[in-house]
Amino acid sequence: MADAAVLDGAGGHAAHDDHAHPTSTGISNEKLAMWIFLGSECLLFGGLISTYLLYKNRPGTVETLVASDGANAGTPVKISSLFDIPFTSVSTFVLLASSLTMVFAVTAAARRDLHRTRLWLCTTAALGAIFIGGQVYEFTIFIKEGMGFTTNVSSSSFFTLTGFHGVHVSIGILILLTVAALSLRPHPPRPESVEIVGLYWHFVDIIWIVIFTIIYLIP
Amino acid sequence: MSAPQVDRRSAPSRWTRRAIGLVGLLVLMIGLASCGDENLPLNTLDPQGPQAQEIQDLIIPVFIVAGIVFVLVEGAVLFLALRFRRRKHHEDGNDEPVQIHGNSRLEWTWTIGPAVILAVLAVFNIRTLWNLEDAQADATQHIEVVGQQWWWEFRYDVDNDGKFDIITANQMVMPTGVTIGLRIRSNDVIHSFWIPALNGKKDAVPGRIHGLAITADKPGIYQGQCTEYCGLSHGYMRMEVKALAPDDFDEWVDNQLEGPVEPADGSTAAEGKEVFFSTCASCHQINGYDASGESTGSDVPDDDYQGPEIPLLSDNAPNLTHLMSRDRFAGNMFPLWEPGAELDGVEPVGTPDAGEIARWLRDPPAMKPMNPDQNAGMPNLNLSQEQVEQLTAFLTTLK
Amino acid sequence: MALTARTPLELESGTSAPTSRPLGVFARPTATTGWKSWFFSVDHKKIGIMYGVGSFFFFLVGGVEALMIRAQLARPDGKLLSADLYNQVFTMHGVTMVFLVIMPMAAAFANYLLPLQIGARDVAFPRLNAFSFWAWLAGALYFNTSWFLGGGANGGWFNYAPNSGVLFSPGHGIDFYTTGLLITGIASTVSAVNLIVTVINMRAPGMTWFKMPVFTWMTTIVQFLLLFSLPVITVALFMLTFDRRFGSNFFNAALGGDPLLWQHLFWIFGHPEVYILILPAFGIASEVIPVFSRKPIFGYPFMVFSGIAIAFMGFGVWAHHMFASGIGPMSVMAFSLSTMFIAVPTGVKILNWLATMYGGRLWLTTAMLFAIGMVAMFTIGGLSGVTHAFAPADTQQTDTYYIVAHFHYVIFGGSVMGFFAGFYYWWPKVFGYSLRERAGKRNFWTIFVGFNLTFGPMHILGLQGMSRRIFTYSDNQGFNTWNLVASIGAFIIGIGTLMFLVNVWRSYREHKRNPVDPGPDPWDARSLEWMVQSPVPEHNFDEVPTVTEFDEYWHRKYGHDENGRLVRIADTEDVAQKGDATGVHLPSPSYWPLVLALGLPFIGYGVIYHLGWAVLGTILVLVGVYGWILEPSTDPDAGHHEVHDAHPAGDGSGAAAELESAAGEHETTAEAAEAERSTETEETPVG
Repeated sequence: MADAAVLDGAGGHAAHDDHAHPTSTGISNEKLAMWIFLGSECLLFGGLISTYLLYKNRPGTVETLVASDGANAGTPVKISSLFDIPFTSVSTFVLLASSLTMVFAVTAAARRDLHRTRLWLCTTAALGAIFIGGQVYEFTIFIKEGMGFTTNVSSSSFFTLTGFHGVHVSIGILILLTVAALSLRPHPPRPESVEIVGLYWHFVDIIWIVIFTIIYLIP
Repeated sequence: MSAPQVDRRSAPSRWTRRAIGLVGLLVLMIGLASCGDENLPLNTLDPQGPQAQEIQDLIIPVFIVAGIVFVLVEGAVLFLALRFRRRKHHEDGNDEPVQIHGNSRLEWTWTIGPAVILAVLAVFNIRTLWNLEDAQADATQHIEVVGQQWWWEFRYDVDNDGKFDIITANQMVMPTGVTIGLRIRSNDVIHSFWIPALNGKKDAVPGRIHGLAITADKPGIYQGQCTEYCGLSHGYMRMEVKALAPDDFDEWVDNQLEGPVEPADGSTAAEGKEVFFSTCASCHQINGYDASGESTGSDVPDDDYQGPEIPLLSDNAPNLTHLMSRDRFAGNMFPLWEPGAELDGVEPVGTPDAGEIARWLRDPPAMKPMNPDQNAGMPNLNLSQEQVEQLTAFLTTLK
Repeated sequence: MALTARTPLELESGTSAPTSRPLGVFARPTATTGWKSWFFSVDHKKIGIMYGVGSFFFFLVGGVEALMIRAQLARPDGKLLSADLYNQVFTMHGVTMVFLVIMPMAAAFANYLLPLQIGARDVAFPRLNAFSFWAWLAGALYFNTSWFLGGGANGGWFNYAPNSGVLFSPGHGIDFYTTGLLITGIASTVSAVNLIVTVINMRAPGMTWFKMPVFTWMTTIVQFLLLFSLPVITVALFMLTFDRRFGSNFFNAALGGDPLLWQHLFWIFGHPEVYILILPAFGIASEVIPVFSRKPIFGYPFMVFSGIAIAFMGFGVWAHHMFASGIGPMSVMAFSLSTMFIAVPTGVKILNWLATMYGGRLWLTTAMLFAIGMVAMFTIGGLSGVTHAFAPADTQQTDTYYIVAHFHYVIFGGSVMGFFAGFYYWWPKVFGYSLRERAGKRNFWTIFVGFNLTFGPMHILGLQGMSRRIFTYSDNQGFNTWNLVASIGAFIIGIGTLMFLVNVWRSYREHKRNPVDPGPDPWDARSLEWMVQSPVPEHNFDEVPTVTEFDEYWHRKYGHDENGRLVRIADTEDVAQKGDATGVHLPSPSYWPLVLALGLPFIGYGVIYHLGWAVLGTILVLVGVYGWILEPSTDPDAGHHEVHDAHPAGDGSGAAAELESAAGEHETTAEAAEAERSTETEETPVG
C-alpha cells in the first residue's frame, strides 16, 4: 500500500484531504462500502439466477398452462412461451436510459449544480418507475394467462428472480427521490453521495441486462 | 507491569499428570473403538461384505496416518509446553528467547509434505470410490428400497416382469455372495439407507432414484438405521438385512410368493381377519385380498391397491403379507417373536410375541412417536380389548 | 479522504462544548452513563461488549439445551424429553450455538479489537455498527420467542427440504428459523461491509496490510466469507419462506422442485460458515501464543496466506457434506479431493503455532493454556476431518456421532477454547481488572477435561454406528457406556462454564474492594491495543500511532542485541499512551439504529402471523431510516468539507489529538442509504 499516497487526491472529493494517510486507498468509506455491498449482491443474484436456470424447463405437475394449438396442443407449455420479448425489450431500454440520466445526475452533482442534479435524479427515478410499471403490467398479464407465482417451480423462480430485481429497482427509486429531497436542505448531500447512489443504480441495471438475457433471450 | 499471580509450583506436575491421563484416555478410546465387539450391531469397522471391506481397507490406512500425525502433533504440543516453560530465572527479562520470525524452507516443507502424503492417499481414495461405483454395474439382482416416515419398504421383482412380486418392510432379505443393486427412493422426506456391515449409506431423496450395491459374504442379520434426519421418529426408523444362502433365499422367495393361509372358520383369527378388513385394510395391504377382504386370486401385491383411504403423506403403509416372516415391526423397533426365537433361518422359529403386537394395537403412538394427525404414522384406532386379541391372533397367522 | 475515514467524528468527548445542538425529536442522545449510554451507543467498544454479553447469554441458553440433549441420551431409551421436544432442542442448540454464540462472539472480539489493532478510533460506520448489533439481538430474541409460540424449529440446523416444508413441519418453528436467520443475516452482512471498509481504509499511518496483526487478518477474511456466503443462504431462506408461507414449491419434489437445491445452497453458505466460526479463534491463538512465548508469530506470511487459502478453498468444498446425497461420482471425487487439500493450509497454521512456541519462554497463563488447548483440540478435529474427506469413508461416518465429535472438536475445541483464551487475555484491557489466574486454571482444566470426556467418546460412538439426531437408542446397541461418559462430561463442561462466571464475579468484587490497575500492558504484549490504557479510553488513542513494524508496540519496547536476543529499550510507561487526550471528536450516539433494528422482528411476525405486524415493522424500519438520515450531525464542522486544523507536526507531541473533520453529511446519507439497501432489499419482498 506504499503507493496509496499517490492515489490519494485521485479520489475526487477526497482531494481536500490534505492529511494524507499512507495506507488509505483514497476511496471514501461510503463508496468503498457500496462496492463491497454490491459484491455481496452479485452472489444474491447469482443464487437466484442459478435457481432459475435449474428450474426454467421444469413444468412441474401443475399443468394449467396448456398449448392450445399446433403440434403440441394439449401439452403443458414452458413459461417462456408467454414472454413478450418486444415489450420487455422496451422496458429494458427504458431502464438502460435511466443509467444514462443517472450519469447526467452524477455529472451535475460534480459541478455542484443542485438544480440539474435534482432534475436528473427525478428523471432517473421516473424512468425506473416506468420500468417497474412495465414489470407490474407484465406480471398481471402472466397471472391472467394462468401463470401465477405458485403455478410451478419455473414460474416461482421466474417471479422470485424478477421480483427481487424489481424490489431492488424500487428501493433505488426511493433512494433517488430521498437524495433529491435532501438536496433541498441547507446542507445538501455531497456530490459523492449521488455518485454512490449511481453505483447502486448502475449495478441494478447491469443485473437486469444479465437477467433479461438469461430469461428472455436464451431459448 | 502488575501481572496476575501465577501458580508456578504445582503447575508442572499437574500438567504432566493430566497430560498423561489425557493421552491414556484417548489411546484407550481409540483401542476400544477399533475392536469388533459382537454387541455392536451397527459397528462401522466390522465389514461383512466386499463393499464394506473396500471402505474398511481405505479407512484403516487413513486412520493410521491420522493417528501418527495425531501422536506427533500432540506429542509436540506437550513437549513444547513442558520443555519451554518459563522458569524462575526467566522472569525479570533475563535470558530472553531468540526471536525467530520464520523459516521459509521449514514452512514450505510442512506445506508440501502433508500435500504429498494426501496426494498419495488421494489415489487410494479415488480407486475405492470408483470400485464402489462400478460394483453397482455388476449387480445382477435389484431390490427397490423405499423410505418413508418412519419405516423402510423393500420391493422385489423376482421374475423381471416389471411388476413387484414381493413387498416387505423393515427386514430386507437377500442372498449371500451375490451383488444386489439397491434402487433407493423416498415417498416423502429425505432418508438414508445404511447397513454399516455391508456398505456406506446412501440418501433416499424424493424424486430421485439412487443406486447402491451391497453384497453379504455370510448368512446373518445385519442391522441398519436411517441416518438422515427425517422428522419426529427418525430415531425409531431402523431396518435390517437378513442374508440367506442362495438356496435358502429361493425358499424364502417361494414362501413369500404364496398367498395367505385362510384362518379356520370360527377361530379367533377369523374374527381378527374381519376386524382387519374393517379397520386396517384401508391402509395395509395383504396380498391376495382387496381392501374389503375379498380374495383377488392373485398372490402378488396389487399395484393399484387402494390402500390409504386417508391421505397418508407417504401414500403408503407397510404391506403385512407374511408379516411373521419378519423379525420386528414398526421401523424394525419392536419384536414379533419372543426372546429365544431363531430368527436367522428362512422363517423365524419360536413363539410370536403376541404381547408386543397387542400393545402396539392398543395405542401405536404410545410406543413410537408419530404424527397421525398430520397423516404420518399409525393412529390410535381405539380398539377394544377383544378386537386387539382377535387382530393379534389373525396377524400371527401371516407367516 | 483517509483522514475523515479514519475518524468519523462528531460529538466531542472532551471539555469543549459542541458549537451547535439542534433540538427537537431529531436531537442526538447524549447520555454518558446509565442504560441510555449503552442502548444508543455507537462506540465500537461498547458494542463489542454488548455483543459479548449477548452471545454469552445465548451460550448459556444453548448450553442448557446441550445438557438437555445429554441428559436424554445418558441412558438408553431415555424418556426425559419427548421425541418432538428432543428434535426441537437439538435444532435450537445447533442454530443457537452457530448463529447466536460463535458468530456474534467473534463479532464481539472483532468489534472491540479490530479498530484498536489497526490504530483507528472507531469503525468506518459507527451507527451501522450499532444497527448490526441490535439487528442481531432482535433476530436472536425473535428466534427464541418461538419457544413460547408453539415450539422451536425442529428441522435440524441444516433444515433439509422437504422435511422443512409446511407439509411435514406444519408448526411455526421453521418459520422462525427462516425469518430469524434472515434478520441475523442482515446484521452480519452489514457488519461485514463495515469491518471490511474499516480495515481497508482506516489503518493507522504505516499500518500496511502485512503489518496487521494476525487476528485482524483472520477477522477480515471472515468478513469476506460472510459477505459472499450469506447472500447464498439468503436466497435459500427466501425460497423456503415462499414455499412455507406463499405456496410455492421450490423444494417440493412432487411438484417439480429439487430437494438437493436446498442442500447445495445451504452448504455453499454452510461450509464457508465453518471457517467463519473457526478463523477468529485462529486469530486469537495467533495473538496469545506469541505474547506468552515472548517470540513473534512464526512465519507470519504463511499464517496470513494460509488463512486466505482456507477462505478461497472453503468455497470449493461444500458438497463434502453431501457425499451420501447422491450427487454423482464425479462430483464426489472432485469435492473429496478439494476437501483433502484444504487440510494443507490448516496444517500449516498448527505447525506454525508450535514453531512459535519452540524456543520460547512459555508463560502458562490461563489464556495461554486455553490457546495451547485450542491448538491441541483443534488438531484432533482437523484430523478427524481429514478422515472423512475420503468420500467412501465418509459414507460410513457421515450423520453419525463421529461427525458430531469432529465438529465439536473444531467448534468447541477450536472456537470456544479460543474465545476463552481471548476472554482471559483481553479481560484486563476491556474491563480494567484481571481475572484471577488460579481460578482461571481450574476453569481451564475443568473445561478441558469435561470437553474431552464429552466429545472424545463420541468418536467411538460414531464408529460404533450411533446415528446423529436420534432421540434415543436401545439397550442392545452397545452405546450405553460411552453415552453415559459423554453426558457426565457435558455436565463437567457446564460446571466449567459456571466457574468462569464465578471467576468473573469474584475477580470483579476483589477489584472493587482492592483495585489493582493492570496498567496498559499486563502481559508485555505486542499489538497496538496494549499501548492504550485499560480499560480503553473512549477515544482509543490519544494520538494515532505511526506504524513502522509488524508488532509495532513490541518494537517500541524491545530491540535486539547482536545475538538476536531481546533487549529492553523502553519502559511500558514511556511508550504507552496516557489516555488523557481532550477535544477528540467522536461520533454521537443515535436512537435510530435501535429503531431500525426493532422493525425487523415485527416484519418477521408479520410473515408468520398477520401482515399487519409487517406493516408496523416496515413503518419502524422507515422511521429508523429517515430518522437516521435526518438526524443532525453535532459535529461543529458539519457541512464543511474542509479540513481546517493543521497537521500535527512530527509525532504530534501534545496530548491534544488531531482535531479532525468528518463531513457529517458523508455519514448521514451514504451510510443510511446503505442501511436502507441492506435491510430493505432483504426484507421488503417478505413484508
